[in-house]
Amino acid sequence: MRRFWGFLCFLLLCEGVAFPDTKNFDFAGKIYTKWLYRNNDTQGILSYGNPFWPDDIAGDNGVGSEFELKVFGRPSKFVEAYARIQSRFGELWQDWWESGERKYGDQVNTSGDSLGMNRASYMKLRGTYVRAIVPFSKTWRNTVTIGSSDLGMFNPWTIGKVRFIDRDNGKGVFINGSVSNIDFSYDLAAIALPKLYVGPWWSTGIGDPELARPFYSQDWAYGAKFAYSPKWGAITVISTLTNDIEVDITDPDAVGSPYAQCKDSLGNPIVGCSKDHAVDYHTRYMNSVSTVEATWNPEDIPLIANVLAGVSVQRLDKRLTANGVALNQGVSPIVYKDTESYAVRVRLEASDLGTKGLTLKGEYFNIGEDWNSIFGARREADVLLTDGFLGGGQLPTLNLANEFMDFDELFYESCIGWHGGTIIASYETGGFEGSLESTFIWYNTNKQNRDVDFTYPDFLHSEGYTDTDLYDYANTTDRGRDPRSVYKRNQDRRTWIEVLKLKYGFDLLKGADISLKSKLIYDKDYRSHRTVEDDYTGLITQSRLAFGVGLYRGLRAEVGGQFDYWREDNRKGTLEQGYGDDRTYKGKGFFGITWEYEGLKFRYYFEYVYKDQEREREPDQLFKVFRSKASLEVAW
Amino acid sequence: MRHIIATTFGVCLFASLAFAQTKVSLKDPVGDDDGPGTYTYPTDPVYKPGSFDMTSFEVEEKGGEVIFRVGIRVPVEDPWDSKSWGGNGFSLQFIQVYIDTKPDGGFCEGLPGLNIQFKEGQCYEKVVLISPQPKERLHSEVQQKAGKLKEAVVIPKATRARGKVIEAVVDAKDLGGPLGKGTGFQVIMQSNEGYPDAKDLLTRKVNEYAGQHRFGGGSDYDCDPHVMDILVPPAKGGKDEIEAQHEALAYTCDPNNPNAGSRAKIPMVYP
Repeated sequence: MRRFWGFLCFLLLCEGVAFPDTKNFDFAGKIYTKWLYRNNDTQGILSYGNPFWPDDIAGDNGVGSEFELKVFGRPSKFVEAYARIQSRFGELWQDWWESGERKYGDQVNTSGDSLGMNRASYMKLRGTYVRAIVPFSKTWRNTVTIGSSDLGMFNPWTIGKVRFIDRDNGKGVFINGSVSNIDFSYDLAAIALPKLYVGPWWSTGIGDPELARPFYSQDWAYGAKFAYSPKWGAITVISTLTNDIEVDITDPDAVGSPYAQCKDSLGNPIVGCSKDHAVDYHTRYMNSVSTVEATWNPEDIPLIANVLAGVSVQRLDKRLTANGVALNQGVSPIVYKDTESYAVRVRLEASDLGTKGLTLKGEYFNIGEDWNSIFGARREADVLLTDGFLGGGQLPTLNLANEFMDFDELFYESCIGWHGGTIIASYETGGFEGSLESTFIWYNTNKQNRDVDFTYPDFLHSEGYTDTDLYDYANTTDRGRDPRSVYKRNQDRRTWIEVLKLKYGFDLLKGADISLKSKLIYDKDYRSHRTVEDDYTGLITQSRLAFGVGLYRGLRAEVGGQFDYWREDNRKGTLEQGYGDDRTYKGKGFFGITWEYEGLKFRYYFEYVYKDQEREREPDQLFKVFRSKASLEVAW
Repeated sequence: MRHIIATTFGVCLFASLAFAQTKVSLKDPVGDDDGPGTYTYPTDPVYKPGSFDMTSFEVEEKGGEVIFRVGIRVPVEDPWDSKSWGGNGFSLQFIQVYIDTKPDGGFCEGLPGLNIQFKEGQCYEKVVLISPQPKERLHSEVQQKAGKLKEAVVIPKATRARGKVIEAVVDAKDLGGPLGKGTGFQVIMQSNEGYPDAKDLLTRKVNEYAGQHRFGGGSDYDCDPHVMDILVPPAKGGKDEIEAQHEALAYTCDPNNPNAGSRAKIPMVYP
């Protein structure tokens, strides 16, 4: 009994002890559930996934949940540790119980051991880091991070911040330091190259027909950033190197070497050949990108000036990487040759011009035709002001990632070779916000008889305005140009984009607003200079009207519609077969609800898409698509 | 007679315009985004130097609306793409404008997560939340965490950023009518935390050492003011206001007894 009272007193005493913000050990959890439905027969809970992989995670119908657990440790004031484990997203509720063991191989069975690990919701270690703070002095501090990072310390042109779903996948050694009394900071990083997407063939060797034994465990990217941030602005210099190496297969010590015995095919000794139990390496692929960015931000003047200039250099060893342009139907994240290129971007922004709320932004951009940032941002970033063609953002890479996403997310497009300017005038007063964008794009990629057979990737589909509403990767439904397709055999193109955005907020229930976005794109491509028969003229119009209203505390509803009309003369075809004039009519009606309640976040979105594609040289196409997405998120 | 009517009309129009444009324009010194003088930014690269350095504050009344403008030392950025989560075009800053409209009474405790109190006789009746978060999230968080303070909270009908300014538009009636002479203001510069501590209202914590998403230079206990920059009288932007801010945000904290010690007591500014 005495022990019981002693224990109770101990508990009561513990109750009174205050804990610091950073406990030695802490958890954070999140449960995320997504419903996805469409009037078709695909199963999965990711609308857009690449169909070329033998995977079953993409589809339009299903509901699944995932659980995330973050563990934080703080062994001392100077050291913190982090780990995140998360269940694999892909199990449908209907899977009920699925171990993923595939006990019976690929035979059809109903045992629950049938579908593979994607459907097993197993918990996977997603990332870990250990971070130490090393204060050399009161003004000079360093932080060393060993492990996971979202790579956000550089910029989209060089090494880009990885997309959210990859946020802990990048691992390396990172040093961040600052000297506060001279406004100076630096970042140094050595990053393990992802074997899956950085390099020719979207890999650092795997899947490359030229390599029998891909070697990826010594592939690294290196980055250095130096920033000076005085009161008047900032100057930032970033230099990065992506380096993929392979084993020299002619080295007699290399596994599989044809010269393991230091003899040639006739059995004669090779002069100078000797085994030393060490193998030589060669660089398969190298991409170095550097930028200098200066911002002038004068105090008391509502003006911001920004200049960015960069160089991109690519080297590849054709003995160690096969030609993805020739062998993969022009679908390749690199130009198949050594390249050097440049990029320049100049921005000016003046706010409150004459009257409060009036802002003028201007931008000049010039990105070389051979620019590539193989490890640059793939999505969720934007390097240009313009709304562009697709509205999602422009990135200077062929390595875009418009996949593992849902139909309500925006697409990103490559801006390699873009040369032009944007002016945006906006005015905001009270509940009113309006802006008008004018953009003109000339293309550094304009060229006749470009080699798209062996050198420049055209991503197979280069023609026609891209329909991101009804996108399919294999392009079986004539969805238009691949957003990565910046090279064509014959191109003489220019584009004019106008975007009007209006929004008005007014007093109704918990606040309401009505918004309109209208876009007009005039896209002209004279294509081959040998004839006028192939000249493309695209007139793309899009108008979206939405009305949103707060119904109750935390509850908001939105309803609206969109109408698109695309008139495309000579939309696609060949000189030999001819071109056709196509017309596209697309209507969309939608409504949605967002509900935030006591730490719970629920969202529902429904839309009906009607598309009538009238094609001159092929049968017309009709689409009547109902689809919806709902999500429920609780984090604690 | 016609002249008298015209003159009277003109005077009335002028007077109404004058009232319609009641304007407060205050300054805050550059380089005081360090709370009580020791705070440092989180280590993640999105927190660029100057992102929490308030340089000016304006209040304008116009046609039944009150517009609050907070100037920041550097361009306001949106590294977390707030539009994709229904936000307001910026990501990092979370600004709370406390307004003292009556000589007596009011709330003296800051909203949860700040660890501040207002000086006696300088308490507030209204607090405007200028946040990148959508209204639904703000309503939900306030309902969940603000307790009795929620009756003081005003959520703007529009919040946006342009250049180096973050702006919020509020209906004057939500503030209890037009802001009269003698109204006091305090602007608290904090950071938007999408995954706040269970009791914090969307605020980012300050710890002893900066973390990836934690300010440093304070205390690991909740006794330090989680505030990076404030206004201090006379709010003209003088260098002396830097030291005055450090004094206003001064606190003491005993790790062995964190509930003891003195909390930061901050002043209102009466323009």
